[in-house]
Amino acid sequence: MFSESMFSVDAGYLEGLARGFKGGILKKTDYYNLTQCETLEDLKLHLQSTDYGHFLANEAGPLTVSVIEERLKEKLIIEFNHLRTQATGYLAEFMDYITYSYMIDNVVLLLSGILHDRPIKEMLAKCHPMGTFEQMEAIHIATTTRELYDAVLVDTPLAPYFADCINEEDLNEMNIEIIRNTLYKAYLEDFSAFCQQIGGTTAEVMQEVLAFEADRRAFMITINSFGTELLKEDRKKLYPACGRLYPGGLEMLAQAEEVEQVKLVADYFAEYRVMFEDDGTGMDKTLEDKFFEHEVRLNVRAFMQQFHYGVFYSLVKLKEQEIRNIIWIAECVSQRHRAKIEAYIPILE
Amino acid sequence: MGDLFRSQEMTLCQLFLQAEAAYACVSELGELGLVQFRDLKPDTNAFQRKFVNEIRRCDEMERKLRYLEKEIRKDGIPILDTGDNPEAPNPREMVDLEATLEKLENELREVNAYAESLKKNFLELTELKHILRKTQTFFEEALHDQHMTEEAVGLMTEEGMMAGGQAAGLRLQSVAGVILRERLPAFERMLWRVCRGNVFLKQAEIDTALEDPATGDKVLKSVFIIFFQGEQLKTRVKKICEGFRATLYPCPDSQAERREMAISVMTRIEDLNTVLNTTVDHRMRVLMAAAKNLRLWFIKVGKIKAIYHTLNMFNVEATNKCLIAEAWCAVDDLDKIHLALRRGTERAGSSIPPILNRMSTREMPPTYFRVNKLTSGFQSIIDAYGVASYREANPSPFAIVTFPFLFAVMYGDFGHGTLMFLAALWMVLREKQLAPTAKLSEIWATFFNGRYIILMMGAFSIYTGLIYNDCFSRSVNIFGSGWSVRGQFNQSLTPDQIRTQVRGIESLQLNPNDAQAKAWRANPYPFGLDPVWQVSGNKITFTNSIKMKTSVVLGVIHMLFGVFVSLTNHLHRRDMLSVVGEFVPQVLFLLGMFGYLVILILYKWAVYSGRNSNCAPNLLIGLINMFLFRYDKATNGCPPIYTGYQGLQTFLVLLIIPCAPWMLLVKPLILRRRQQMLARGGAMMGQQHPQPQMQPDAGVDGGDQTELGMGQQQDGGNNIHDGDKAVDMGAGYGDHGEEVDIGEVFVHQAIHTIEYCLSCISNTASYLRLWALSLAHAQLSEVLWGMVLAIGLKREGFGGCLALFVAFSFWALLTVVVLLLMEGLSAFLHALRLHWVEFMNKFYKGEGYKFEPFSFARAELEM
Repeated sequence: MFSESMFSVDAGYLEGLARGFKGGILKKTDYYNLTQCETLEDLKLHLQSTDYGHFLANEAGPLTVSVIEERLKEKLIIEFNHLRTQATGYLAEFMDYITYSYMIDNVVLLLSGILHDRPIKEMLAKCHPMGTFEQMEAIHIATTTRELYDAVLVDTPLAPYFADCINEEDLNEMNIEIIRNTLYKAYLEDFSAFCQQIGGTTAEVMQEVLAFEADRRAFMITINSFGTELLKEDRKKLYPACGRLYPGGLEMLAQAEEVEQVKLVADYFAEYRVMFEDDGTGMDKTLEDKFFEHEVRLNVRAFMQQFHYGVFYSLVKLKEQEIRNIIWIAECVSQRHRAKIEAYIPILE
Repeated sequence: MGDLFRSQEMTLCQLFLQAEAAYACVSELGELGLVQFRDLKPDTNAFQRKFVNEIRRCDEMERKLRYLEKEIRKDGIPILDTGDNPEAPNPREMVDLEATLEKLENELREVNAYAESLKKNFLELTELKHILRKTQTFFEEALHDQHMTEEAVGLMTEEGMMAGGQAAGLRLQSVAGVILRERLPAFERMLWRVCRGNVFLKQAEIDTALEDPATGDKVLKSVFIIFFQGEQLKTRVKKICEGFRATLYPCPDSQAERREMAISVMTRIEDLNTVLNTTVDHRMRVLMAAAKNLRLWFIKVGKIKAIYHTLNMFNVEATNKCLIAEAWCAVDDLDKIHLALRRGTERAGSSIPPILNRMSTREMPPTYFRVNKLTSGFQSIIDAYGVASYREANPSPFAIVTFPFLFAVMYGDFGHGTLMFLAALWMVLREKQLAPTAKLSEIWATFFNGRYIILMMGAFSIYTGLIYNDCFSRSVNIFGSGWSVRGQFNQSLTPDQIRTQVRGIESLQLNPNDAQAKAWRANPYPFGLDPVWQVSGNKITFTNSIKMKTSVVLGVIHMLFGVFVSLTNHLHRRDMLSVVGEFVPQVLFLLGMFGYLVILILYKWAVYSGRNSNCAPNLLIGLINMFLFRYDKATNGCPPIYTGYQGLQTFLVLLIIPCAPWMLLVKPLILRRRQQMLARGGAMMGQQHPQPQMQPDAGVDGGDQTELGMGQQQDGGNNIHDGDKAVDMGAGYGDHGEEVDIGEVFVHQAIHTIEYCLSCISNTASYLRLWALSLAHAQLSEVLWGMVLAIGLKREGFGGCLALFVAFSFWALLTVVVLLLMEGLSAFLHALRLHWVEFMNKFYKGEGYKFEPFSFARAELEM
C-alpha cells in the first residue's frame, strides 16, 4: 500500500533534496543576464553567481561550448547519482526507469554510428552519461537486431522492450528509427504501468507527464514519416498507447497523410490544438519548441504536489531543458549569432 | 559598557581616490577592516564592471593554485603554514606572480604528462609480466590434467595438446589480456553469448592492485586467456575485448618463447623503474618548492581578488582619473581611516591625497558594536532575535548578567553548576589550542563559541545552588540547622542515642510554636535554604512557595527594568512625547498591579511567621479581589494585612484603569494636533520656515519634528540627531504639508497598548517558568539519586562495592546526559525566551542591519 503518511520515511529526505535542486534552476533574470554575455568567459562569470557555482573554475585553457556541456551534464549526473544511491524500494526502481530513456537514446546513437562506420570511441563520447551501461561499448559486434539482442541488450533492463523488434534483417537507417520508436513505445507503456502500480499522487502526476510524452512521440512519428517508405500499418505499431490520443486519436493519426490531417486530429484535444495553431504573434516558434514549452509547464506543475516520485522525473527533465538552454545561449554567444539567442525555453519565472 | 549599550556612531563617507592610488588605499582599508563599502552600481552585471579582467586573472591564478594544491596533497607533502599574513601585492607584482604560477603549472603538467606515459608503459609491462606468469600456470595445469586423466577430452585436452606444442588437426588460437576485475562477469557472459559457447576462457586474479596512470587510483585487475578457433571468432572476441576495455597482449604459445619474453620484460621493467624514480623525484622537488609558498600565494591572490571586487563597487569619475566610493564607518575610526588612506597613497607614490567627505543621508546606518570574546557570545544571542536598530539601547550588556542568572534560577544546583563551570573553564583556558577544532564539527563549535556563556551560567548556578542548598539533590549542613529534634527527647540522652532513637521513628513533627519542644532555635540558617528541609515531608510545598514568589519578584523587576530601558531610548531621542504618552502610563500600570504584588510578597515574608501564620492572607485571591473591589468583613479575628489597605488598593486600581486610555490616546492626539497646527501655520507662513510653528512644546526639537514628518518611524529621527552637523534641517524631510495618516498612527498605538496591557499579565505568569523548571530540575536529580545511586550506596560488603561501581557509572552517565546537557539546554532555551519575549519586547525594536566591514580577515575566513 502506498501511504502518503509514510512517504517521508524513505523518500522525504530525497524529496527535500530534489526540491532544493529545483530551487537552483535558473530564473528569468538569470537568463536575461546570460543573454547579455559577450563571450563565454562572461557566461562562466555569471553562472558562478548561480547554483552552478564554480563548476567551470578548474578548466584550463579557453572555454568551449563542448566543455561547458560536458560539465553541465556532469553536474546533473552527480546530483542524480547522489539521489539514486540513497533511494530505496520503489523510488530506486522509479529512478532507474528515468535512466532507461537515455539508454535507448544511447543504443540508437551507437547503432547509427556503427552504420556509418564511425569509430566507437568517438560515438561513446557523445552518449548521454545518464544512460551508460556496462555492455554499451561492445555494441559494435552486432550486425543484426537478433545479435544485438542476444549479445548486448539481453542483460540490460531494455531487454523486455526489445522483444518486439527482433528479426534477422540487417541494420539500416529505417530499422534503427523503428527500433528507437518501438523501444520507446514499450518503455513508455511500461513506465506508465509501473507508475500506476505505485499509485497515489505519483500515478496522478506521472500519468499526465507520460501521456504528454506519448502523444508528442505519436505526433512527431506521424509528421516525420511523411515522405518515407514507412507503411501506415507499421507506423501505427509505433504509437505509444498510454497517452490522451489513445485510442481514438491514434486511430485517426494512423490514417493521416499530411500535416493538415494531423492538425485536424489535434483539434479534438484542447491542449494540443494550441500547439498547431499559428499564434499570430509573428514569433515563428517551431512545433518542437512548443512541445518543449508544454513539457516544461507540466514538469513545473509536478512540484505543486507533495509526497510523490514525480518530482524526481520532473527535476531531471527540467535540468535537461536548462542544459539545452544554456548550450543554446552559449552557442549563440560563441558564434556571435545573437538574433536567435532569445529562443531558449524559460523554465521558472 | 557605553560601547555595547549603544551602537557606534556611524557616518556615511564619500571617498575620492586617485585611480593609481585606489588599489593601495583599498588594500590598506582591507587590512584595517573598519569600512563597509556600498555597492554604487547594484544593477550592473558581474561581467560588465570595470575590473572584470583583473578578477578573471585572479580566478585563473586561483585555479592554478588549486591544481598545485591538489597535486601536493596527492603526494602527501605538508603545506607550510608560517602563520604570517603578507600584504596584498602591488598590481605590478601581480604579473610576476602570474608568471611564476604559470611556469610552475606548466612544469608540473609536463612532468605529470611524462610520468603518466612512463607509468602507462610500466603498467603495460607489469600486466604483461602477470600474464606471462599466470598463463604459465594455465598451461602447466592443462598439461598436468592430460597426464592425470586419460579420459580428459574436450577443450581441455585440445588446449593441453596445443600447449605442449603438438599441433593437432584443429588449430586453436588464444588471446590473452587484462581486464578490470569487476567487469569480468559481464565480459564472460557476453563472450559466451556472442560466440555461442565456442570459446574457452580461463582467468586468474592479479593479487596486487595496479595503479591507473590517468587517475592514480589503485585498481584490481584480472588476467584472462581466451581460446577459440577460427578467424571469425577471433574478430568477435577482439571486438568484445575492446568493448570492455580489456588490454590485449601477445602471448607466445611455446614455453621457451614465453620464458624469454618474461626475462626481457623483467629487465625492461627495471630500466623503467629507474627512469620513473628520477621523474618522481623531480616532481617531488617541484612540489616541495611550491608547498612552501602555496599558502602565501593563496592569501595574496585572495586579497587581490577582494580588492578588485571592492573596486568594482566604485563609481568612476567622468575624467577617469578618480574613483568615487561610498562607505559606512564609525565616527571614532575616522582618524585611523585617514591614516590608512595616507599610507596607501604613499605606497602608490601618488602626490594627491585622497579626499574623504562625510555625507548626510536619510538611510539608516548599520549597527556596529565593538565586542570582545566575552561579549560577542551574548551579542550573538541578541542578534539572533534581530539586529538592534541604529543607536537603540542594546540589551546585551544587561544580558551578560541577567541571562546566566535567570538560567541559574532554573538550573540551581551546586554540583551540576560546578561541573558545568569546570567544563567551560577548560574550554576557556585552552581556547587557543581548541580553536582550530571548532571548524570540524558544528555541534562542538556551538559549545565552543558559547564557552563564556557556559562559564557564566556555571558560576551563577553554583551561587543559586548554594542558595537552594542543593548539590546533586543533597543538602549540605555547613552552619548548623536552625531546627532541632533534641527537645522532644530526654535531655540526658547523648546525641548518638538520640540518633538511634530517631531512626526508629516514622515521622517527627517540628512545630515552631511549641515552646516546650524548642524545635525552632530562632536563629535562621545564615545563607540559603536550611538543610533540614531536605529531609522534611513538606519540602516540596515549602520550596514551591518560595520559588514561585521569587519568580514573580524577579520577573517584575526584570520587566520593570525593561520599561526603564525604553525610557533611555526616549530620552536619547529627546522624545518627551513618548515619555509622557507611553513610558509614564506603562510604569504606572506595571507598578500599580504587579509592583504592588511584589511589595505584598516581601511584606508577607517579613511580617508573618510561624506564630501568626493562620492569619496570613492569600495574595493571589487578594489581588483578584482588589480589582473587584471586594473586601470581606469576616476576618476570623485576624487583623487586616495592614491598616488602610483598602483605601490604598482602591486608589491603585483607580490609577491603573486610566493608564490604558492614556497610552492609547495621548500620543496620537497630540501628534494630530501638531499636524493641524503645522498645516495652519504652513498656510500662513508660506511654507518657508515651518520650524517656529514646530515649537509649541518646550522639549520638542528638530528630532521630534522629523518624527512627525515620518510618522512614527524613529530611524529618520535618529539620523538627524546623530549626524546633526551634516544634515540641513529645512530640506531634510518633507515636513511641508506631508500628510501623515493619523488613522494609521491610531491603529498602531491601539495594537501597542493592547499588547502591553495583556503582556504585563501574561509575561508575569510566564516568569513562573523559573519556578517550574527549577522544580523539575530538582525533582529529576532527586529521582536520579534515589533510584540509581542510592541503591548502590545502600548495599554492604563486597557486593555493595560492585553495585556501587555499576550504580555510580549509571548515575554519572545520566547526570551528564540528562541533567547537564538536556536540562541545561532546556533551561538555556527558557532563559533565552525570557529575554527575547518578556524582557526585550518592552523596549527593543531590532530592525537594524549589521555593520559588515570590508576586511581581509573576514575574506580569509570565508575561503
